[in-house]
Amino acid sequence: MLALPTAVMHASNQSTDASSPEPRLTLKSQLADLTLVWSWVEALAAQHSISAETQFAIQLCLEEALSNVIRHGYSGQANQSVTVACTVECASTGRRELVFVVEDHGPPFDPLAHPHAGQAPAPASIAELEPGGQGIRLMRSFAHRVAYQRLPNGNRLTLAFVIKQ
Amino acid sequence: MQISTDEMPGGITRVALDGRMDIAGAAVVDLKMNLIAGSAKKLLIDLQKVDFLGSMGLRSIVLPARAVHSRGGKVVLFAPNEMVESVLKTSGIDALLPIHHHLDAAVAALA
Repeated sequence: MLALPTAVMHASNQSTDASSPEPRLTLKSQLADLTLVWSWVEALAAQHSISAETQFAIQLCLEEALSNVIRHGYSGQANQSVTVACTVECASTGRRELVFVVEDHGPPFDPLAHPHAGQAPAPASIAELEPGGQGIRLMRSFAHRVAYQRLPNGNRLTLAFVIKQ
Repeated sequence: MQISTDEMPGGITRVALDGRMDIAGAAVVDLKMNLIAGSAKKLLIDLQKVDFLGSMGLRSIVLPARAVHSRGGKVVLFAPNEMVESVLKTSGIDALLPIHHHLDAAVAALA
């Protein structure tokens, strides 16, 4: 059974609109805290008129990115933190993107360099299927853009989703 | 997340999943899915009411399916919504576990 979530919303960028979601979410490094991401993304989706399909893709990618940090980056240590920040960026073409930046302060971990990073062919039989190895393939497919950056004291993963007009 | 089972004619076990197959949802159904997979020979996984499927949710489908296959059984996936189906296809799982949208076809695939 999962423990109760303990995450707190950062209040550093308070909005004048009380109904607007905070632009940044800080989670403890435990899988139970991922339940908080769902309602946060729902609120962001409502704020930015995101389609149900894009909202699904965001949930899928954030669940994968955050669970990677918790399970692999922090190796299950529950007292660490991971942040997700959300911004809207406009490309020169006028296309708007919802950009999520996931940051942790764990040891170097580039999920895009993982052996299952979506480059390998699909398994030929159910026996060969790596049960937990599909996440990176999904992130690459469902996010419009995925980028990894090593920070001096951690990792940054950027996931961008096009806001369809 | 909810899970229910019923026995269909022809020795088919139908497992209906209802809710979000995210990490929390997967944790809720894992034990029961594994118990079902331990005895079922023909397993129909009904995804009609699954509105989200993440990688941990996929794992909750793949591991029981593998158990059924290893005993010579068959597994089909039934009626996922469009986004859930795209997760299954992106993962390549549809090539290993057939997806059917009509119950007759799903049942025939298990014969």
